[in-house]
Amino acid sequence: MSSFDVLVAGGGIVGMAAALDLAREGRSVVIVDEGRHSGTTANAGSLHIQMQSRFIRMYPEQVADLERSLPLYPAGAARWRELEAELGADMEIRSCGGLMVAEDAEQFAFLADKCARERRLGLDVHMLERAELARTAPYLGDAVHGAELCVEEGKLNPLKANEAIRTTLQALGVQRLDETVITALSPAGHGIEARLSHRSGHRSLTAGQLILAAGSGTGQLAAMLGVAIPTGAEPLHVNVTEATAPLIGHLVQHAERMITMKQLGAGQVVIGGGWPARFTGPEEFPAVDPASMIGNLSLAQHIVPRLGALRVIRTWAGVNTTTDGQCVLGNLPGHDNVFAAVPGDAGYTLGPLVGRVAAALAMGRDPGHDIARFTPSRFAAPA
Amino acid sequence: MSDRLTITFEGRMLGARPGQSLGAALAAAGEHALRHTSGGDCRGMFCGMGVCQECLVTVDGAPNQRACMVKVADGMVVHRQAAPGETPTARVGAAPILFADLATRSADVLVIGGGAGGLSAALAARSCGLDVLLLDERQTAGGQYYKQPSEALKVGPLDRQQRDGSVLRQRCEAAGVRIIDGAETFAALDASSVMATHAGRTAVYRARAMVIATGAYERAVPIPGWTLPGVMTTGALQTLWRSHRALPGRRILIAGNGPLNLQVACEVMAAGTDVVAVAEAADMLGPARLGAALRMAMQDPALTTTGIALMARAWRGGAKLLFGQVARAISAVEGGLQVELGNAKGGHGERFVVDAVALGYGFQPSNELLRALGARHDFDPGIRALRTVRTRECETTVPNLFAVGDACGLGGAPAALEEGQIAGLAIAERLGASPPAGVSADAAHRRLQRHRRFQTALWHLYDAPSPGLSLADDATLICRCEQISKGTLIAAMADGEPSIGAVKRRTRAGMGRCQGRYCGPLIAAHLADATGRPLHEHALFAPRAPVKPVTISDLVGGSSS
Ligand SMILES: Cc1cc2nc3c(=O)[nH]c(=O)nc-3n(C[C@H](O)[C@H](O)[C@H](O)COP(=O)(O)OP(=O)(O)OC[C@H]3O[C@@H](n4cnc5c(N)ncnc54)[C@H](O)[C@@H]3O)c2cc1C
Ligand SMILES: Cc1cc2nc3c(=O)[nH]c(=O)nc-3n(C[C@H](O)[C@H](O)[C@H](O)COP(=O)(O)OP(=O)(O)OC[C@H]3O[C@@H](n4cnc5c(N)ncnc54)[C@H](O)[C@@H]3O)c2cc1C
Ligand code: FES
Repeated sequence: MSSFDVLVAGGGIVGMAAALDLAREGRSVVIVDEGRHSGTTANAGSLHIQMQSRFIRMYPEQVADLERSLPLYPAGAARWRELEAELGADMEIRSCGGLMVAEDAEQFAFLADKCARERRLGLDVHMLERAELARTAPYLGDAVHGAELCVEEGKLNPLKANEAIRTTLQALGVQRLDETVITALSPAGHGIEARLSHRSGHRSLTAGQLILAAGSGTGQLAAMLGVAIPTGAEPLHVNVTEATAPLIGHLVQHAERMITMKQLGAGQVVIGGGWPARFTGPEEFPAVDPASMIGNLSLAQHIVPRLGALRVIRTWAGVNTTTDGQCVLGNLPGHDNVFAAVPGDAGYTLGPLVGRVAAALAMGRDPGHDIARFTPSRFAAPA
Repeated sequence: MSDRLTITFEGRMLGARPGQSLGAALAAAGEHALRHTSGGDCRGMFCGMGVCQECLVTVDGAPNQRACMVKVADGMVVHRQAAPGETPTARVGAAPILFADLATRSADVLVIGGGAGGLSAALAARSCGLDVLLLDERQTAGGQYYKQPSEALKVGPLDRQQRDGSVLRQRCEAAGVRIIDGAETFAALDASSVMATHAGRTAVYRARAMVIATGAYERAVPIPGWTLPGVMTTGALQTLWRSHRALPGRRILIAGNGPLNLQVACEVMAAGTDVVAVAEAADMLGPARLGAALRMAMQDPALTTTGIALMARAWRGGAKLLFGQVARAISAVEGGLQVELGNAKGGHGERFVVDAVALGYGFQPSNELLRALGARHDFDPGIRALRTVRTRECETTVPNLFAVGDACGLGGAPAALEEGQIAGLAIAERLGASPPAGVSADAAHRRLQRHRRFQTALWHLYDAPSPGLSLADDATLICRCEQISKGTLIAAMADGEPSIGAVKRRTRAGMGRCQGRYCGPLIAAHLADATGRPLHEHALFAPRAPVKPVTISDLVGGSSS
């Protein structure tokens, strides 16, 4: 039976980032990935920082938590910029600024209030009235009344980022077992034993430590160790247009409706923002819901009318992880050597940071952030 | 001349004929280079049927227009599309809508695609009294076999295939089939409803049963130089002449595999071009082929005779017929395109300098809507493509979803006609309608068996190993849209045992405007070979809406002002 210092369950952005730090510190690491539901291979590449007003409206009771999580986001974006430099890779990271647009005075006032709170929490945000906005973002249409600008927000190209990290891990000798299902986890001596199943057969391995970074599959793995973590799987839809000359300079969102828009380096515009996809078949394969194309894209051309002339050439569906909106990060209750690492909302933005914190915990080091609030034990049923 | 139109292309005045496509007018004027790539090359018309997206031009300021699909109009100002193109200024978009706001049109039966298969299914269902709606993306339905020319073109007497098509269409119309030309189906919602754009609007079309008859497009075989302007598919060359009365040059070389090449050679020779050579990859004169030829003759003596007559005509017309030969490389030279022929396994053969090259390696089924709906498909090594799993009545594994014609397995036009009738009658029975007295599907079934035997023998006659990626060199682009070379792809495919989706994400192959239609099957076949795993439906790119690129303003109903 092979044995490793650390088993990372889940090879999305969090698992890869954790493995990177561990391998760099000389730990032997194996990543086991089921290859089913993933946000990392399907996300829209927004680096989110300001609070998403849609959540504030939908879950007003979570606002306090959202505000407390806020400092993580600029740190997450900063970690991405560092990572790009460390790996010497072009991930097309741009701190281009993010605009959240308002269509009327009421929405503008709502954003102004949010902006004031975010400033108090240290974000570099300010409000742009129509005239100033027209100078900053001339591509926006007449329907837009004003916007909140978050200077540090931006975007990246997830395809390039994932590939750069994957090949770095390969070069560092991190083993990756893809399309491999973890069928059982159990404490073994001072470590953990995992039973695995692959189409080529079954095997087991042991590891001193285990990081649960399986996104929406984390709850199921934690349950194998008798711990409840309520991760949910949310299928979401993304559209992409044919390439066009530089048009949209910012990450664009809306004060009230679900949308994110940004332009990639090669000119395509990625349009997403949380429109639903659906699960199909017994494998629950995420499939696009053509209805989402209509709602999402009609909103896009309403805000940026020049998009109307472009064709949408691709759509895809990916699986987002839902929690209570916040990260699940820390020791699994009752298991000293097992750590949960699930990012909160906008999990790709947070991925490298959350992975780094998990790696630090596994190495017994100071994670450098106050993560007490994110402890998995918050879900334990009160005794 | 009143029947001549004038357009400008890059500032040059060109004449055109009413009813022609813009691409045909440009080709006739010798303008093959239509769009710039970000890599600094130019591309031209490749498929001629709206699939490859290589012919993009800017028309009167609007970018991303497919020259092969746009009807030419007097005074059009046309430019090569820059990489990437500019979008026109616009300040006001349409009010946002939701899916539920879309208009809905209903019928008993919905038929997607108006080629031989679709028209025949529509007619059969209509003859039983059902309300039938047929959507076809072309300006004039008819499909690839009937190739209906625009009326405005006044082509003079139609050829036999066109006449048959025109008669079938008239019968459909007279019977009351509601045909909507120019309606692009871009998404299937469920077994009985789709979304389609028509005249700048999107609607949901619903029915009690649906027939998918979307036909096929041509298979890609990459060789060095295949992305040069002036290199197109054999079907594109055929469409230029038969539907648009345009020829892409005086000297033409045709190479590939399959019966269409010789037929098109004869068609364009009759039109006055000089077909310098036809290279056929199959060694058809080999003794082993005799049996196949005899079986064909037994099933359909008339068609077989036509085939032999075609060969004789091509040869008499001065074309060199070279069997067991393929085009190995194309390069741009002074005065045209130089094509080097050779044996598929290597070795250098004759060289020719021509104005245009047509490459035809057979077809790929357009089964995207079927696959997106979850209809099961099996890989058929005989046709090297997926075949839709169907009942004898042409119903797929999804209840009330029927499929006919080349979309489900490359059976040829005569088989598509019979399948259409069989499906139409089966649907009528399913929906409780009865056929006119004396009509039954029995005769259609008998004829279908005969066509299928003929088709099988035909494939045996033309059997040749699939070149796949073997004729390409490391720098040859396999994904034309995203400009991904064979070398890059091979490296990505050799790293672990990636799925086709992982190869796509690593390289961007298949992410461009043609939606992976040309590189997808090649990558899938290569991965299957490399891993020793058989090809299957999930080994190809996952089919997703939109199955054709769709303009965003069309989705919202009206265009932005
Ligand atoms: C369509 C879409 C768009 C998004 N856009 C953005 C965006 O623009 N910006 C942003 O910040 N965030 C975005 N997100 C969210 C973001 O993608 C995710 O939050 C983030 O990728 C989560 O990373 P992760 O590593 O925690 O999990 P995942 O990326 O989900 O990875 C989990 C991995 O674990 C594996 N796994 C699951 N269960 C098991 C198991 N039982 N055993 C072994 N392996 C298992 C999976 O195969 C997967 O590879 C988007 C999400 C979606 C779906
Ligand atoms: C370029 C080309 C040339 C060919 N030339 C010949 C020939 O000369 N002789 C011969 O025997 N065979 C020829 N074939 C083979 C021929 O296609 C078939 O044998 C025959 O046409 C099959 O009929 P069908 O009804 O299945 O498909 P088709 O005739 O191809 O008809 C399919 C129809 O569906 C429409 N369609 C496709 N997708 C959509 C969509 N998403 N929304 C709306 N409409 C859609 C198309 O516009 C088309 O009209 C050719 C094939 C191709 C691709
Ligand atoms: S030539 Fe116009 S799309 Fe292929």
